[in-house]
Amino acid sequence: MTYVLRVVVVAYLFLLVAWPVSLVVTHTFAHGDEAIRAILEDPDMQSALRLTAIAAVVATVINTVFGVGVSLLLVRNEFPGKRVVSALLDLPLSVSPIVVGLALVLVYGGRNGWLGPSLESAGFQVIFSTPGIIMATAFVSLPLVIREVVPVLHELGTEQEQAAASLGASGAQTFWRITLPSIKWAVVYGVVLTLARSLGEFGAVKVVSGNVLGSTRTATLAVEEKYLNFDQEGAYAIAFLLASVSVLAILVVFVLRSREARHH
Amino acid sequence: MSIDVTGISKRYGDFVALEDINLTLPTGQLTALLGPSGGGKTTLLRIIAGLETPDSGSVVIEGTDATRLPVQKRNVGFVFQHYAAFKHMSVARNVAFGLEIRKTPRADIKRRVDELLALVHLSQFADRLPAQLSGGQRQRMALARALAVQPTVLLLDEPFGALDAKVRKELRDWLRRLHDEMHVTTVFVTHDQEEALEVSDEIVVVNDGRVEQVGSPDQLYDAPASDFVMRFLGDVTTLGGHAIRPHDIDVQVTPQVAGAAEGTVARVLRVGFEVRLTVHTLDGEEVLVQLTRTHARSLRLEEGATVWLSPAEGATVMPRAAALSGSS
Repeated sequence: MTYVLRVVVVAYLFLLVAWPVSLVVTHTFAHGDEAIRAILEDPDMQSALRLTAIAAVVATVINTVFGVGVSLLLVRNEFPGKRVVSALLDLPLSVSPIVVGLALVLVYGGRNGWLGPSLESAGFQVIFSTPGIIMATAFVSLPLVIREVVPVLHELGTEQEQAAASLGASGAQTFWRITLPSIKWAVVYGVVLTLARSLGEFGAVKVVSGNVLGSTRTATLAVEEKYLNFDQEGAYAIAFLLASVSVLAILVVFVLRSREARHH
Repeated sequence: MSIDVTGISKRYGDFVALEDINLTLPTGQLTALLGPSGGGKTTLLRIIAGLETPDSGSVVIEGTDATRLPVQKRNVGFVFQHYAAFKHMSVARNVAFGLEIRKTPRADIKRRVDELLALVHLSQFADRLPAQLSGGQRQRMALARALAVQPTVLLLDEPFGALDAKVRKELRDWLRRLHDEMHVTTVFVTHDQEEALEVSDEIVVVNDGRVEQVGSPDQLYDAPASDFVMRFLGDVTTLGGHAIRPHDIDVQVTPQVAGAAEGTVARVLRVGFEVRLTVHTLDGEEVLVQLTRTHARSLRLEEGATVWLSPAEGATVMPRAAALSGSS
């Protein structure tokens, strides 16, 4: 029975994940490293990769700080509407990214948005610009840190924090010395998931970015562009770069975790 | 100089955890807060520590009004039932924590930590993580950590509650000896009457959010103020309509004392060195009697034997009627 189950699981993962992803790799290197080199030498592609990196890193930083703060609020405090907040935090995972993009345009759109025109007259453009791309990216990856940290905080309890307080530690000292080290691995895992998700965001970014070559075109948008223009090799090369960053991130966590486990 | 608790009340919604508690705990003593779970003793301890805020009343620690002081400023050492060890820090770093927060010079921290680890017999475990220690060792580490900051008072919340019986007994003796050396004012919460009787200078019996009685272990055992205190501190049975301790009953196999109650031994239970008898008297009472194995043997007691029961000399006896009104 276990044997059958094992075969089913392996076959499932192979057909759905391993085979398609490995084909991306083989397509990328069909003509050696030519395709990759072409991408890396193209200034437009360089700017697309840079934009993706900036958006992903900034969104991850925002979501990490915000995520840890919200997790503490949700686990350590009782307040009216807590369940509503908790449910709202799952919204970005359940709503289609396209909807997220459209929603952001409704609020921050330069011409017709609720807030956009006043921001724009103050010299701050959100939609069709980097801030909009960052916001869209942050929106779709918002709950990932929170969902990792909340259960760990629950399990941690408050006794260690109370002990620290009784020994004279202020709130900030308790957070940096006791709470954060205790939830370290959950935060790291949440950061990696957020980063991977942010790098790959497509739908929401497509709506808010305007997709201007060399300025607001991200790497995922470039993949689509190349694919539609029958430059399959180029599309696969960028896809390969994006995928390898994600795989690398997860590998790093895997190695760190197993080292930590051996350490204990 | 002492801990003075005045008019402390605390509610959680409709539940009254503490109601108008007034208490003075003298400096340098080891005091037990004893009572059943849910009686309010832990809440009282946490209010003294500043981990919980009272709805009304005041806490004065060694002459300083601490009612509005946050826990960080009270200089209390607190030991938790489940150790609250800092899991990511070595044993030495755990003990050093309070000193590091106080910006003590590094050399002083090291010296003090070494001293404390020696005191709690954990010197050889200084570099281990708490997860690598046994429960008893972890609790000793927690105690060293609390003592490191030289607290004005040491507060322990069921400190041995999570340990097995043998370790609990060892740590109990050890806490008493430690207190005799250090003389820091210590308050510990327990629901184990034996622990309270054995270790403490003074016992405060807390039940239902109120103080039932305050006194030395002997006073409480010999002169309980209420039926509740009598029952909580030890086994109680009824003889001639009075509450009495089963080991305070004399057993005779011939009628010798006037007024002794005649009865039949219904059950004999041997537990280690003691023998527990269940006697049905002619008055229809079911009386429990405890005697030593040797005493029971010399009387040749067995099921079905006829015996005469009377209160032993110096027995603590409480009239049932008074007892009931006293316990409410």
